[in-house]
Amino acid sequence: MSVVKLVDVQKYYMLGDTRVDALRGISLTIEKGEFLAIAGPSGSGKSTILNMIGCIDNPSTGRVLIDGADVEHLSDTELTRYRRTKIGFIFQSFNLIPVLNVYENIEFPLLLRRTMTRREREKIVMRFVEEVQLTDRLKNKPTELSGGQRQRVAIARALVTNPLIVLADEPTANLDSATGHKIVELMKTINEMEKTTLVFSTHDAHIMEHARRVVNLRDGLVVGDESRSAA
Amino acid sequence: MIVIRIALRSLLRRRSRMLLIGLLVVFGTLLLVFGTTVTRSASITSRNSIIRNFTGDFIVYAARSREIPSPFAFNTPLPVVPNTQEVNAFLGAQPEVEATVPFAQNYSLLSVASGTESVDVPFIFYAADPGAYFRTFENVRIVEGKPLTGGPGILISRYQNDHYQKRYGVRLSVGDQVTALGLSGGGGVNALRVTVRGIFEPVYYANVFNYINFMDAASYSQLFNFTGVSGGLPPGLEKGLAAASESEEGIFNLAGTSIGSIDTAKLKAEAVSGYTMIAVRLKDHAAMETVRARLAAQGWPVKTARWDQASSFFANVASAVQAFIYFATALVFLVVTFIFMNTLVINIIERTGEIGTMRALGAERSFIRSVFLTETLLLNVAACIIGMIASLALVLAGRTTGIPLPETVSQYLVGGGPLPVVPSIGPFITALLVVVAVSILATLLPIRVATRITPLAAMNDR
Repeated sequence: MSVVKLVDVQKYYMLGDTRVDALRGISLTIEKGEFLAIAGPSGSGKSTILNMIGCIDNPSTGRVLIDGADVEHLSDTELTRYRRTKIGFIFQSFNLIPVLNVYENIEFPLLLRRTMTRREREKIVMRFVEEVQLTDRLKNKPTELSGGQRQRVAIARALVTNPLIVLADEPTANLDSATGHKIVELMKTINEMEKTTLVFSTHDAHIMEHARRVVNLRDGLVVGDESRSAA
Repeated sequence: MIVIRIALRSLLRRRSRMLLIGLLVVFGTLLLVFGTTVTRSASITSRNSIIRNFTGDFIVYAARSREIPSPFAFNTPLPVVPNTQEVNAFLGAQPEVEATVPFAQNYSLLSVASGTESVDVPFIFYAADPGAYFRTFENVRIVEGKPLTGGPGILISRYQNDHYQKRYGVRLSVGDQVTALGLSGGGGVNALRVTVRGIFEPVYYANVFNYINFMDAASYSQLFNFTGVSGGLPPGLEKGLAAASESEEGIFNLAGTSIGSIDTAKLKAEAVSGYTMIAVRLKDHAAMETVRARLAAQGWPVKTARWDQASSFFANVASAVQAFIYFATALVFLVVTFIFMNTLVINIIERTGEIGTMRALGAERSFIRSVFLTETLLLNVAACIIGMIASLALVLAGRTTGIPLPETVSQYLVGGGPLPVVPSIGPFITALLVVVAVSILATLLPIRVATRITPLAAMNDR
């Protein structure tokens, strides 16, 4: 069952009179439970694809279907609700809310949903805190954590709402190599355990080796789509 | 709850910047609450002081007068109040009235013996029944002699007496006989021997009252020829005189009409008071309009002027100070609004990634709006409360001792002495409402900037 479907998606920007093409017609289908890397050099369109899938940017032409629904004509409020319920984000710079501690950062998306009691939220948050091994850091603020710890908080925050798909934009770019590998391993483990669809972008060949499917981009076009059954 | 948590911690995170704004709000609140309380107190004290010492709650004067009477002004002689006795008796019978006093302002010369010669010195005075005047007003403290109860005569202000000494080389003492020279309505000069009955000091508004003296009513009538006839005048003549009293030209309307004949047998001479005003003190100021309306319904050719109309300059001093305080407060809050607006915009720009992240995670625009509005309200309301507490401390201190003012300022503002502070809840509520309004106003633009930040900002925050 496909979770995401991009149909001939193009994205261009106008810089004065010059048209800059970020995506030149991309069609891509992502199935439920996939652990997929979007690879390519800087400027190839990796982040733009993630933005389309994450409902935070619109295609210039083409269609984006999330969970079977075309998101093109959704209002800002509807897109916000879509992101809140169906999508989890992991950012390159972690993007934790600086005034909240580890526990509160992970709890934040659940609070936005306003559907759970405090006890229910606590149960879910603690489950993911344990998964990312941060039980001893619950009260720490982001500034008191290492890069790897911050990214683990971000992973827990992305997963806590049990989203349809988790998008990670260069999640290891701000980490040292060893920590980067650990973070991708953690993402992979969670993907296997939670069956969450996980898509991440990277230009690091070592990191993309962890993925079961690698989509290669160059100049806004898919130049390779490779599945690795035993990655 | 999460909104308050984020707002509060964000404020603490930028505490030095926010402290500056908080201090401005504290200052603005202090200015608003304490300033308003003080000016309101000045206004009340000024009102009470003017009512108790000069005008009463209102003044009755002749309907044909073209000017509103003022016990402070001596430049234009006012027409005599018609039906003075009836009007005064009517007012005295009203249950709301505490006291009334008919009086007039005028000026004459006093011819004072100085060795073998005599010196003419200016003499500005109120003419009144002394008993009624001192029952109505509290503004005179007799320092020598008696308050005109020992017979007809005059009371001299000590300041005026000192001035006579300095300028003319004469000094009056209690018991001295002097000749008052008055210009009668017909253009002649009348002379009257009067006795100095006492020397006084003004208690309030010394800046005005130092120059005003007193003459008893009977002496005044004699000095200025306030006598007339009544009883035998035909209706036509009464009508003509009434018309003449309405306008100078009215007398010409009598031309060609029959006024009837005068019955000299019925004519009787009477003393006309010469009073140009009747000051009315009420038991409760709130009854002023009722009593004024009741008097107007009697149909006498008289009008009334409220205390503030009859003392325009002095009544306006407190209002002017109040206006200045309001202006200064408005200025402070305007500055606070702009500084706060700019600071918030800078905060928002600094927090673009954070806002974008919240939006990416599913926070709606209303959530972002709530965060910034809560931040503003938390800071400003907290600062407002601190300002209110400081104001309350000052108000309570002022309530006990009064606020000392420079004598000149005090004379013009409240008639003299320290300014008593009258606490009121009004300025506190006003301050809170103003701070909330300013907070909302100051966040309008920043919130607009914040809610326009898209989730893409989170992706670009590297």
